[in-house]
Amino acid sequence: MAWIVKDSAHAKIEKRDEPYLSDEMKRHFEAELLPRYATRQAALLPVCHEVQHTYGYLPMQALAEVASFLGLSNAQVLDTVTFYEEFHLQPVGKYMIQICRSIACELCGHAFLSEKVKQKLGIGPGETTDDGKYSFVELECLGACEQAPMCLINEELIGDLTWKKLEAAIDECE
Amino acid sequence: MALDKPIITKRIPTPPFGDPADRKRTTFAQYKRTGGYKALEQALGMAPADITNVVKDSELRGRGGAGFSCGLKWTFLPQPDGDRRYLAVNADESEPGTFKDRILIDFDPHLLLEGIAIACRATQCDTAYIYIRGEYHKQAKTLLVALEEAYANQIFGEGSINGEVNGRPLNCYVHRGAGAYICGEETGLLESLEGKRGWPRIKPPFPAVKGLFGRPTVINNVETLMCLPFIISKGADAFKAFGKASHFGGNAPGSYGPKLFGVSGHVKRPGVYEEELGIKMSTLINDYCGGIKGNRKFKAAIPGGVSMGFLSTDQFDAELDFDIGRRYGVLGLGTAGVIVMDESTDIVTATRNIVRFFSHESCGQCTPCREGSGWLYQMLCRIERGDGRTKDIDLMDEIARSMGAMPGTTICGLADGTNWAVKTAIEKFRGDFEAKCKPSVVQIGVNVGA
Repeated sequence: MAWIVKDSAHAKIEKRDEPYLSDEMKRHFEAELLPRYATRQAALLPVCHEVQHTYGYLPMQALAEVASFLGLSNAQVLDTVTFYEEFHLQPVGKYMIQICRSIACELCGHAFLSEKVKQKLGIGPGETTDDGKYSFVELECLGACEQAPMCLINEELIGDLTWKKLEAAIDECE
Repeated sequence: MALDKPIITKRIPTPPFGDPADRKRTTFAQYKRTGGYKALEQALGMAPADITNVVKDSELRGRGGAGFSCGLKWTFLPQPDGDRRYLAVNADESEPGTFKDRILIDFDPHLLLEGIAIACRATQCDTAYIYIRGEYHKQAKTLLVALEEAYANQIFGEGSINGEVNGRPLNCYVHRGAGAYICGEETGLLESLEGKRGWPRIKPPFPAVKGLFGRPTVINNVETLMCLPFIISKGADAFKAFGKASHFGGNAPGSYGPKLFGVSGHVKRPGVYEEELGIKMSTLINDYCGGIKGNRKFKAAIPGGVSMGFLSTDQFDAELDFDIGRRYGVLGLGTAGVIVMDESTDIVTATRNIVRFFSHESCGQCTPCREGSGWLYQMLCRIERGDGRTKDIDLMDEIARSMGAMPGTTICGLADGTNWAVKTAIEKFRGDFEAKCKPSVVQIGVNVGA
């Protein structure tokens, strides 16, 4: 739920010496993203997408660097990124198994698949395996209802799922 | 007249005109070879007001859910003052049951780009943003490839065939969302584009006057924009040859043009089909989708995304057009993403799923929606478990129905979507709910000494 307040006040920020936002990334953002928008703040989503793509999640230090890069306060950046489900503030598994649980997928039997994933990986929705290989989440509609039940593994959509097909896809992840 | 050849899906093989297995992305060269960007050239020879008038005459209504007249929306923009004006393309397709825009972008992205260029010409917008939902990774990449082709072929950018708009070259960018249904609400989308939480804005001011970055902004759905090339090249009358006038006569706006229907759920061949507005749902299910899975009987359907509410078993023949709301007791046609449920479906479970969706996606800005959807979800879970009381049904009905409880107290329409699902489910399938509830304890007699 996007509106649930996350306990960030007590979060310990791990610092590292090397900045997350390299000069090269900044140059790329300045040249490619910022000219598109009338304000620097408008580039926040695309910038966060790219940072997350690079590091797998959005570390607090990276968000602070994004804030100073875009001329925003840390709170403004946190306010925005905590709203969106796709931004991860904690590290997630290398492979994100995202099963759709909305109406068409429920009608076509997503619950069975979720149960099977739970058994196979030993984790519930929202959890990551200890080796950091898999994360499992149940999401709302992914916009492929004609292929229900379906899932996304990272960016790849796999539709018309049976357990056999899903298990094969999970096993294929290296 | 029924569609004798595909219009919007001209380049996307779709039954009965083609085989979905043959679908592939239309490249710029293929698009151009099959008559693409001709309508744009034609539009560039017309005055902006004339384009708007043709679109107004075609009575094209928005395909994103609200069904508002596209041409009329454009006329709300003030006269250009030389500063920036924006077109925001709503590709944040997140309503459960809706997947038409995904297929359109996957296989014919240039039709969207042509529509965007025509809309920018008509409304004199110089910058277009395609706001695409974050989960559409592949579609965002497809659009980037198509945009690269379009820039290389002078459709957008410096020295493009569009010349200068407001003294600037016409530009078009892809902007990815990050997983929030509410960003499909037009002002939520603008907030998100500005780099904020997708909280819908209080209106007025309307986006046409003060939208993105405080400037005049038009927001159109992907499918709406994709209708424009046909309307410009073939004329308003050709578009109006499909569909029909309103059943209510007078000045009520009609339902014209071809429309994509996305069918999912318990049907043999789920998918996107193109037909004219006003087609019977039974025709869509039986003729296009091969009937109900396992030859079971039809029980219920949702006409266009879960916020529209339920069609009952005896409304199998409902005509899918913009009058569906008043005629069949649902909110409206919505996105025309039809979700079909067979006789084995438990409506309590289906309603619980829908309300959980809204409870999850409520942005939390307005208390009635944030709290109301959460409590409705909890009550539905209780009934589903078998712990509910019959008075719970009445309470849910009251919350969903009475103005001032949940409806009519929120900034955007998300709360209404929740309520329509709940109230139509209770109204049309009360027996399903009662069968799961224990009777309420009714106290008979007088409490002495109370």
